[in-house]
Amino acid sequence: MAIYTVGRRRVIIALLLTGALLLTLDLRGNSVLDTVRDGFSRAMAPVEQATDVVTTPVQRAWSSFSNYDDLERENQALRDEIDRQRGTQAAAEASIIDYQLLLALNNLPSLSGIETAKAQVVGGATNNIDQIVEINKGSDSGISIGMPVVNQAGLIGKITQVNATTSKVMLISDPRYSIPVEILGGTGDRDEGREPTNTTPSGKTEEELDEIISQSIADAEAAGTAETADDPAGTTDSGASGGIDGLTPADVFEDDVALPQAGDPNEATTTTTTTMPEAISADNELPTLTDAEGSPIEPSSSTTTTTLLLNPDQLEKEYGVLRGRGQGRPPQVRFLQDIPSLAVLQVGDLIETAGGSRSLAPPNIPVGRVINRADRPGVAGPLLEIELNADLDKLNFVRVVLFQPLTEVVE
Amino acid sequence: MFAAFAQGSLIRLIPVGMVMLALQRTVFVDIKVAGVTVQVVLALAAAAGASGGSERGAVAGFVLGAMFDLVEGTPLGSTAIAFTIAGAVAGLLAVITAEPQWWLKALFVGLGCAAGEALLPVVRVFIGEESPWPANMLKVILVVGLAGALMSPVLVPLSRWCLKIRGPAWTAPVEQQPI
Repeated sequence: MAIYTVGRRRVIIALLLTGALLLTLDLRGNSVLDTVRDGFSRAMAPVEQATDVVTTPVQRAWSSFSNYDDLERENQALRDEIDRQRGTQAAAEASIIDYQLLLALNNLPSLSGIETAKAQVVGGATNNIDQIVEINKGSDSGISIGMPVVNQAGLIGKITQVNATTSKVMLISDPRYSIPVEILGGTGDRDEGREPTNTTPSGKTEEELDEIISQSIADAEAAGTAETADDPAGTTDSGASGGIDGLTPADVFEDDVALPQAGDPNEATTTTTTTMPEAISADNELPTLTDAEGSPIEPSSSTTTTTLLLNPDQLEKEYGVLRGRGQGRPPQVRFLQDIPSLAVLQVGDLIETAGGSRSLAPPNIPVGRVINRADRPGVAGPLLEIELNADLDKLNFVRVVLFQPLTEVVE
Repeated sequence: MFAAFAQGSLIRLIPVGMVMLALQRTVFVDIKVAGVTVQVVLALAAAAGASGGSERGAVAGFVLGAMFDLVEGTPLGSTAIAFTIAGAVAGLLAVITAEPQWWLKALFVGLGCAAGEALLPVVRVFIGEESPWPANMLKVILVVGLAGALMSPVLVPLSRWCLKIRGPAWTAPVEQQPI
């Protein structure tokens, strides 16, 4: 049995010094070490695949044992959330279409013009410090270091290491991750800052319509005639959701353009709610209604358009740098200027990537929302804590945005 | 040199380490205990220390840590240093007794794992990373140490085979001829 002696202690010290030497060489960049790393990764690939095949039943058994209750609760919560979101989906899609068309009209770059590569997460973080996952696409798919990675919810990280068929993705929560972002000040209190106005498809309020209907009924009774009602133009048009150049929400959200896209919150949001009319018996047939201009009105249609007007003065952008803080800690946004006259940053404000010539991500990728604001003394500016849109614990399919900043594009 | 390598302990340790790394990157990524990733490669390094002493434990820890760095893309040497210390700490068992009981080995494997896990962020601080500490550092260290101790009944014999460690052979005193 070995004994802890001075001579043996020298071996340990020599190993530690060797480790420090390797560390120094690797941090300064060494092609030999990079080659060794690449070769070892290739040698490990078949071992990992075999191990993965053999241990899959164990993983599934553990997953079903440990996650069943959580999955059941999550399933129920997701069903509720889907019900809630159905109502706002149409308005959101319409806004995004408008936003992308405006960008195209003004020759501005938008996310829909950037190619992406689909990938699947095949490996998670293997230690308790690094927040790095592995995906099953690499340089063969056009992926290179620095490219942003998103899922349907928003930004999740960036590529930090690329092999031929696999890549490493550093998640936003990693302490080494940072990216310039913009905070849309004033989006946090949308419920307070807007006063919804209910109008009908013809653009008139319900009170105005009641008067018109009463007047038309009276006119019809007086004339004793009944005309067949035609569907007025634009009866169910929500203003923004109408197909422009044949473009429908389904087209935009097709697989080719599935990047999460933030719209311009300064624009008015229009929501259309259509309720099916109740059955009208022949005895209760209503007379044809016309408005003051003679246009026919369909009284049985209960389509209502709610236009939510936001005050553009409340939606100012502030720029900062988002940094990860490790597992279990929300990322923070720093380097903010606290100038209330320009932008009031508060809980609930939206965070998007800022873009810029040196940023590794294009602008307008949604990141998350502000969940906490901490004011610091002096000129340090406030700190914002962020709740990410994407659930980094349950990543599966992701997209690598094949984006290169202007400063790195080789001409 | 080749003969020395073939007859040495690395010829067994490297392939076993590769399998352990593959297990770490597949099974143990999903199997988390209280939200903490169990470190089976670190536990093997500590088990090598508990069964072979500080020197062998340090060598095994260095090799396994370097393999971990190579495959994970972490700075080469950062994990190796922490695993070296883990193997050396677990090897302190040899100072206490020449023939330790199984529970004593498990205790020192756990201690080695805890020391290695605690050192990982310390090494990262030295290479310039800002706040590499996990939010629940104490829980991480406890869980990793406890898991290492629980895995020791399997990993200690495995490490003995890898490092070609034989048990102590007691020799009978030479019979003295009566004067």
